[in-house]
Amino acid sequence: MRVLLAASALAAAAAPTSAFAVDYLSAEQAARLMFPEADAFEARPLTLDAAQLQQLDAQGVRGRSANWAVHAARRGGATLGFVVTDEVIGKFELISYAVGIALDGTVKQIEILSYRESHGFEVRLPAWRKQFVGKGSAAALRVGDDIANISGATLSCTHVTDGVRRIVAVVALARRAGLLT
Amino acid sequence: MLIRRSWAWVLGGVASTLVACGGGGDAASSAGVPIASALSAQAALGERIFADVSLSASGRQACASCHSPDNAHSPANSLVAQLGGVLLDLQGRRTAPSVNYLSSNTAFHFDAEGAPTGGFFWDGRAASLQDQAGQPFLTSFEMANANAAEVIDKLSRAAYADEFKRVFGADIFSRSDDAMARVTLALAQYQREDTEFRGFSSKYDEFLRGNVRLSDQELRGLAVFNSPGKGNCQACHPSARAADGSFPLFTDFSYDNLGVPRNPALVQNDDPAFYDLGLCGRDDLAARADLCGAFKVPSLRNVAQRHVFFHNGRFNTLKDALTFYVQRDTNPEKWYPLNADGTVQKFDDLPAQFHANVNTTEAPYNRRPGDAPALNDAEVDDLIAFLKTLNDGYRP
Amino acid sequence: MTSHRLRALPAKTILAASLALAASAAFAQTPTEAELARRLDQLAAELAAVKAQLAQMQQERAAPAPAAAPAPTAPASGFGVTAPAASAGTATPAMAAAAPSGPATVLSSYGEITYTRPTKSSVNTQADVARFVLGYQHRFDAKTKVVAELEVEHAVSSADDAGEVEVEQAYVEYQITPTLAVQGGLFLLPMGLLNGNHEPTAYYGVQRNFVETAIIPSTWREGGFQLVGTYDNGLTVQGGITTTFDLSKWDAASTEGKDSPLGSIHQELSLAKAHDLAAFGALNWRGVPGLLLGGSLFSSQATQGQTAEKARITLWEAHARWTPGRWDFQSVYSRGTISNTAVLNTPLVGNPTLIPSSFDGYYVLGAYKVWSHEDYSLTPFARWEHVNTTRSYADLGPGLTPEASGGQRIVTVGANLNITQGVVLKADYQQFRDSPDQNRVNLGLGWNF
Repeated sequence: MRVLLAASALAAAAAPTSAFAVDYLSAEQAARLMFPEADAFEARPLTLDAAQLQQLDAQGVRGRSANWAVHAARRGGATLGFVVTDEVIGKFELISYAVGIALDGTVKQIEILSYRESHGFEVRLPAWRKQFVGKGSAAALRVGDDIANISGATLSCTHVTDGVRRIVAVVALARRAGLLT
Repeated sequence: MLIRRSWAWVLGGVASTLVACGGGGDAASSAGVPIASALSAQAALGERIFADVSLSASGRQACASCHSPDNAHSPANSLVAQLGGVLLDLQGRRTAPSVNYLSSNTAFHFDAEGAPTGGFFWDGRAASLQDQAGQPFLTSFEMANANAAEVIDKLSRAAYADEFKRVFGADIFSRSDDAMARVTLALAQYQREDTEFRGFSSKYDEFLRGNVRLSDQELRGLAVFNSPGKGNCQACHPSARAADGSFPLFTDFSYDNLGVPRNPALVQNDDPAFYDLGLCGRDDLAARADLCGAFKVPSLRNVAQRHVFFHNGRFNTLKDALTFYVQRDTNPEKWYPLNADGTVQKFDDLPAQFHANVNTTEAPYNRRPGDAPALNDAEVDDLIAFLKTLNDGYRP
Repeated sequence: MTSHRLRALPAKTILAASLALAASAAFAQTPTEAELARRLDQLAAELAAVKAQLAQMQQERAAPAPAAAPAPTAPASGFGVTAPAASAGTATPAMAAAAPSGPATVLSSYGEITYTRPTKSSVNTQADVARFVLGYQHRFDAKTKVVAELEVEHAVSSADDAGEVEVEQAYVEYQITPTLAVQGGLFLLPMGLLNGNHEPTAYYGVQRNFVETAIIPSTWREGGFQLVGTYDNGLTVQGGITTTFDLSKWDAASTEGKDSPLGSIHQELSLAKAHDLAAFGALNWRGVPGLLLGGSLFSSQATQGQTAEKARITLWEAHARWTPGRWDFQSVYSRGTISNTAVLNTPLVGNPTLIPSSFDGYYVLGAYKVWSHEDYSLTPFARWEHVNTTRSYADLGPGLTPEASGGQRIVTVGANLNITQGVVLKADYQQFRDSPDQNRVNLGLGWNF
């Protein structure tokens, strides 16, 4: 309980300093959207070691970072799924987004938390984000393949899609290694 | 005598687009009708000097004698070259050109592509209006003064001598070289300031302002003038407004060699060894054999008022001049003398070694005997109708 | 992992600093022994607290179970964001989902190098650094940024060389509300598919297509203001007031006006005549992923007060792009009209290039990504275009009115090979159906970042 209280206290304190909804959602809000039935989000900061990073590389996913901000969605004592928050560069600006992974390893939902590029804000549209739902490691998760491009925003689309693909692979690897329960 | 014409008539509907060109300063071709304003003191003196026949050895010749204000400042008679000298019986070397529309001309130079450009006189030897204005005073077959002192001596006895002293200093007549410099300055200022030298009052100017339509024939003539395959005249005589909106001067101040036939009416041509070589006849360009036979491209404004055409006055009518352009190469026998064996002495006003300098690549002089001329007779008439629209002083 | 050592350092430093402070305090005055003892106790307590914090943090790292932190100040890590350059050791306790802050100034660039060989006159083969562009975006604050781009065409720009240096974009963008932004300055007109998106990695073929160079004069930029509205239904609405073309620049003696009517009279905001201003509007819909439909309109007077006559230039276009799976289909139609050209052309009669009263063009393109592996991909394409820069002329009278033409049809087939996301190799063959002596093979290398 303390964690939840602390979390919500922190969430309140951590409201985006910009009044602007180019920061559309906070991570907390996104997590609640993805797992509305969860009563707690517990931090599971993930650190991959060199061997695991190499494994990801072999899979064709460049493990860009060893550290991942992961939260487990909990209800009662059970885990419902995981929420990973990440940032990628569009063309000039950082795009921050959150990916919800269901227990079967597939994408439950993705939300764009903050978007500032002049082009490509269509990545925020529900229709575009819905393309990821239900896709797991088996899917290609590539722009121009199973994910449609947005004309005029290829970089943003591609980087976000690459990010989602990476997150799916990282979560799957971490769970196999017992780092995430 | 002071000539001042007041511009009383307002051009309806155009007043708002006029650019007022105040008096003084360099008048590049204007976008509207220049508005006359009072001449400065120097220019007013220039006006008087321009018309003062007493400044010549003969006592009967002034600038205005050959550059007549009644004929766009070009000769009012149809002499092949004007007569001058002490007794007014010496024939000049070349026709007297118009001195209108020269205020934007520059000193002689070679442009970025190496083409000769600018300069005053048919061979560009004078670097400015001022430089040109001083030379006829001292030429033996023109105003025939021996030196500057003679000119100033005559001027000191003119009716406006006191005004001259007032403007340039009480002791100016004691320094004849300085006084001569001021004489040429006054003449140059007069030509720059007086809107008579840049009237832009032709029918074509009114047409460009949108106030008048050209007749069908004049429009056909303009089309022939502009068309690269027909007259191609605008290649050297631009007819369109410039990018900055200024009105066309119908010259690009460049030089060309047309191979104009020799004119036996010129006394200097009695000597078969004499050739007027144009640019390379100048001392500073004597080594440039490629420029032999090239003369300045004159403005075509007021050309229809001229009585003699080209540097040597070989033709007396526009029709002849234009027909020469298009038939020079298709029917050379019409224009040049024939040898005993029947062959044509083409380009007979140029020594043989310079025949290659003649322009034979640009239309319309890029044809061969047997080809059809670039313009037929009717098209030449259309072209003349258009050229008549370039006369200043149009009244609807 | 280095994180432990990094964590340990601060504690040691704090301790050392505290001791040093205590020591200097000791030297600064003459305290009683009791005071000294008190200070030592204080320091010990603080040290214990810091050690507890350290232990707690290390535990949380290692153990997945919720940390039972003794100290009330136990930092439960909030929703952190995985920073791209992970330096977790310096993470602060309360890390919130703060607005991501990348670098304030980002440099961008693109370049195109081309090789063109006419198949029927190889003597005219040419290679060129077609474009070299440097740009930046600088963000002043959350709402305001400036975007600028400088371009060099044909490698060398001097009085004797064919190249040009130009400012291609220079505008400030301000986010008024979450859905509405305003741009002011020199910006690209949002017309067609290519003008706003003209980097070499963004289009197929070595040379830009003719519809969007001859009819829509890419790269077309004007100075002024525009509002950009982006809505959740996928609609983007743009509208603005800008400078425009200068019809008095029309050069009837050259052929530039036949190659591109509007391209020959554009001003590029370089000492531009701004007596006449244009209004434009653009609508784009991306509601369905992979589909773009849009159109735009631009209109203004364009004689810039240089003549008594007025003439209006109007350009409109419609475009579509559909990218299902590995396919990419594109199409653009554009048409321009100029009014009152009879009056403008009359003083220019006889010249080779008079002002047309209308010009238009369209193309359809299909591309398919036949092979891809990670960031490599090969996409062959085929494009059919029909461009007419002299579609109609106003009547000037018999013998004086120029001939309208049927236009030029061009077929382009080729392929783009993407090496990484930002580098592309291109090759294509272009067939000019109405003037086959212009047929050519093109090779190109381009990059964009």
